[in-house]
Amino acid sequence: MISGESTRAGEPVAVGAAVVRPRVRDRFSLVDWVRRGGLSAVAFALPMLVIFTAFSWYPITRLVVLSLQSTNLVDPPSWVGLQNFRDVWNDPLFMTAVKNTAYFALLALLFGYPIPLVAAVLISESRRFRGAYSALAYLPVVIPPVVGVMLWRYVFYEPSSVGLFNTVLGWFHMGPYGWLQSTGTAMPALVVESTWANAGTTVIIYLAALMSVDRDLYDAASVDGASLWRKVWHVTMPQIRGVLLVTFMLQIIGTAQVFLEPYLFTSGGPANATLTVLLLVYQYAFGNSIGVGFGQAAALSLMVAVFLAIFALVFLRLTRSWSTT
Amino acid sequence: MSSDERTGGLLSHNEWARRDLKWLFGSAQALLFVLLILIGLGPVVWLAKGAITPTIDTLRNPLALFPHGAAWSNLTEAWSQVNVGRYFWNTVVLALGSWLCQIVVATTGAFVLSVLRPAWGKFIYWLLLGTLFVPAIVLVVPLYIEIVHPPLINHSFAESYWAIWLPAGASAFNVVLMKRFFDNLPRELFEAAKIDGAGPVRLFFSIVLPLSKPILGVVSVFAILAEWKNFLWPFLVLTNSPDRQPLSVRLPAIQPQTQIGVLLASMLIASLVPLIGFLVFQRTFLRGTGLGGALKG
Amino acid sequence: MKSSFRAIRLLVVAAALFLVVGAASLANAGSQAKVTINVAALRPGSSADAQKQFDDNVALFEKQHPNISVKPVEYAWNGATFAAQLAAGRLPTVFTVPFTDARTLGEHRQVADITAGVKKWPYYKKFQKTIIAEATTSKGRVIGVPYAAYAQALHYNRQLFKEAGLDPNKPPTTWAQLRKYAKQISQRTGAAGYAQMGLNDNTAGWIATTVAYTLGGRMEQGRGANATATLNSPFTVQALNLLKQMRWTDKSMGSTFDYTWPTINQAFAAGKIGMFINGSDIYTFLVQAANLDPKIYGIAPLPLAKQKNAGVMGGGSIAVVRPDTKGAKMNAALQWIDFFYMEKLIKKPAALRDARILVANQQPVGVPAFPIFNKTQYDRANSWIKSYINVPIKQMNPFLKGIFKQNLYPEPAASTQSVYHALDPVVQAVFADKNANVSALLAQANDVAQKAIREGK
Repeated sequence: MISGESTRAGEPVAVGAAVVRPRVRDRFSLVDWVRRGGLSAVAFALPMLVIFTAFSWYPITRLVVLSLQSTNLVDPPSWVGLQNFRDVWNDPLFMTAVKNTAYFALLALLFGYPIPLVAAVLISESRRFRGAYSALAYLPVVIPPVVGVMLWRYVFYEPSSVGLFNTVLGWFHMGPYGWLQSTGTAMPALVVESTWANAGTTVIIYLAALMSVDRDLYDAASVDGASLWRKVWHVTMPQIRGVLLVTFMLQIIGTAQVFLEPYLFTSGGPANATLTVLLLVYQYAFGNSIGVGFGQAAALSLMVAVFLAIFALVFLRLTRSWSTT
Repeated sequence: MSSDERTGGLLSHNEWARRDLKWLFGSAQALLFVLLILIGLGPVVWLAKGAITPTIDTLRNPLALFPHGAAWSNLTEAWSQVNVGRYFWNTVVLALGSWLCQIVVATTGAFVLSVLRPAWGKFIYWLLLGTLFVPAIVLVVPLYIEIVHPPLINHSFAESYWAIWLPAGASAFNVVLMKRFFDNLPRELFEAAKIDGAGPVRLFFSIVLPLSKPILGVVSVFAILAEWKNFLWPFLVLTNSPDRQPLSVRLPAIQPQTQIGVLLASMLIASLVPLIGFLVFQRTFLRGTGLGGALKG
Repeated sequence: MKSSFRAIRLLVVAAALFLVVGAASLANAGSQAKVTINVAALRPGSSADAQKQFDDNVALFEKQHPNISVKPVEYAWNGATFAAQLAAGRLPTVFTVPFTDARTLGEHRQVADITAGVKKWPYYKKFQKTIIAEATTSKGRVIGVPYAAYAQALHYNRQLFKEAGLDPNKPPTTWAQLRKYAKQISQRTGAAGYAQMGLNDNTAGWIATTVAYTLGGRMEQGRGANATATLNSPFTVQALNLLKQMRWTDKSMGSTFDYTWPTINQAFAAGKIGMFINGSDIYTFLVQAANLDPKIYGIAPLPLAKQKNAGVMGGGSIAVVRPDTKGAKMNAALQWIDFFYMEKLIKKPAALRDARILVANQQPVGVPAFPIFNKTQYDRANSWIKSYINVPIKQMNPFLKGIFKQNLYPEPAASTQSVYHALDPVVQAVFADKNANVSALLAQANDVAQKAIREGK
């Protein structure tokens, strides 16, 4: 029953000879609650509550617990306090992974942040082909990432002189390059493929934001004699600043978690040049058959989660004044 | 769509008339077009070509166009010998199950938070928002251990599809998106229904759901695509059941045993559903992505 | 009341029958307690014919041991999820692990201690010392039964040899020769003259260790957690410098350096590699999965330096028992291991049965292996299945003749995978960086390995 129906609480109940009159209530009454729709609310919320408890809230707390334990799944776990965190901190591969992840994030930002914006601006100005351009830009996003990586790894980045890219470069008398086989080019190669696979989403988001800028603002500016550049700077930028900032933050957060590309392209090589933090987590957890690394894997995962949460909060705080809502 | 006629408005009518600006923007757009074709479409077209090119030709000269004819047998070999058909079916089953779980969780959850609005709703909502700050990949380790050693239940869910379907539903993003949509539905409709004596069940199935077709479309399309693209979680859960693995997990594993022509054919088959789905549901995809952007902005 | 009498009579007959049957089943059940064990059967994806052959084996065993019931379970070793499988209780009672992982699992008591049972076997003392060592922990406990062994070998492409002007019946016998041949092959045919695994999934370190062994080096000294890591011994430095020279000076190693076990086999079968090192048992994978043309296959023993400890590293598979197996179940498990894994090495009917399973699964029979007991027994077992052998034996002669003149040594005993893991980045650095400082990198790797050994990982 939806709230608003009258209840029958408060009516006197005859018990034996005496009449028992219930006290005036301001306490919780189960019957009232059910009648007001409390039960149906719980019933409807049950799928969400069960699924989230089992697969979101519980694992989050379990993560914290695991990071403080030493477990190999078989024997009962033992509490080791902050030892896992110390082990991770002192692992030379930890700093390597952090540096590599930062390098990946930086390259991805330089390469994959401005280009979608320029593309979106150009697309937004096209009358006839906007739909086609959007579709083309988004196409790589729907390709399953595994297919994309395999295509780039076994065909495009094939290191011999008959690899696809090497063939094309050969026309200009360049190469052949080792791509994934060489420490210098491995990470950039990953970034290029990753940007190819993901930039489409950013283009569409920017496009939506650009299209939502009120035309009148541009018209007014034109009437005032503003040049193209001034219009971009004084009209476009402030209007889409919010989206730009959020996309920036999300890109940093996303690239910090990069796992699939280093795992499928190079397994973290060559010589750990593409070892990222999440790949290190995977190696801790699944890199040995006796299962001893789960504690460290949990500790490192927790460090990543906390770092990203703090980054997001700080970023949102700092930029709150900058973006228009 | 009428919005096709509108442009972003950056260039005013006068500016479009100016020759130098027209030339600049025009050539920039032409360049953009070429690059989009090359970068967006190129690899996909190459994949299609490679899938029906004999292995030897792909190995020797990847850019040549069928120097010795096409090899359609790559596709049939991929489907039956390499068993891609089986893995394709596995992927479909996994995608549908995940989709169902996500839809059920998101619609019922958003319904409670947005329409029924119990007293504890706000608390749950904040708990949900909290999970948005936790990247999914960070939970892989505790989730995996939970699947292998569930608390209370003495049975492991490793190698079971349930371990993939059920956790897929825990997407706070879906719930928030749907809640926002429900928030924008006119309250008067609900009031009118209540006066007519509708209970929450009637309200849900007869009023809210029918009105939510657009958002259900968006969530569905993204849910299915996300599961189709998923790699790490099905890889961990189904490691020891190669026959039941989806395409994403199986293709890298069979790469060493498969010649590249057949491998490319398998990869093309794996991409067909997302590609065709995208072409058919383009608007939903693009609108949904833009929506996501608006939500974040 | 005739009908009721009839009804009662019927009831009495029924009751009597019921009692008789019940008594009979009770008697049957009480006479012997039946034990059920799950056993690792064939790999997933095996042919129906092979499954049938396996089931025939099971039927025969159950006939010989009426109180044991055997349930076959599809199985394949997977290092990454072993701990999870064990925790989830999903492992069969009897399953198999590679040599590399067996001892570490044993030290951590993740496989059962079967010393008592195994010592009772009549042939226990006949195991080759180095082979049984692979299944013995640092405290002397036997934790598995080695049933298949191989030696690291040099595989070469006879076709590419011919094209390069080399005699395919005369593979290189020294490292200097190998280097020369590699250069010749790469110059005259364009294929990689010599290739080596370089992926950092422990295979890079595994082969680097193999090469170091052939020069006389070892990765560890001592036993258990007190072992000393010797990754940076001069022999390892020599092994890596050799690699460096072939890679950068001779340029005879092609352009792909992230090969791992299946992908290097695949590239070899596709004719891209002249010579490479891998286990002597890979012929099965080469023909089944990589479509090798048997005519081009050649296998030779590894070139050994003239050093005291120069030898060939061995590998193989060990049958183990789940750690929670006890009592009657443990006895049943050991009996199964004896029947299915060991008998084919010692008894002719069992050898023939095994050969028939291989043939039914379209697997080659006669792939070069290494004796579990001694060469005489090995030769005898091979003679029993002679009619089934379908591998190009003549092409394998260099290996079959030469391997028994070499000393076989076990892999590093303590924290084997961690040792390989520590070596991976060194190998990769040599491949990727012309100026890699091998000594410095090996010193770092040694520290990493030492730490892992100390912690028992």
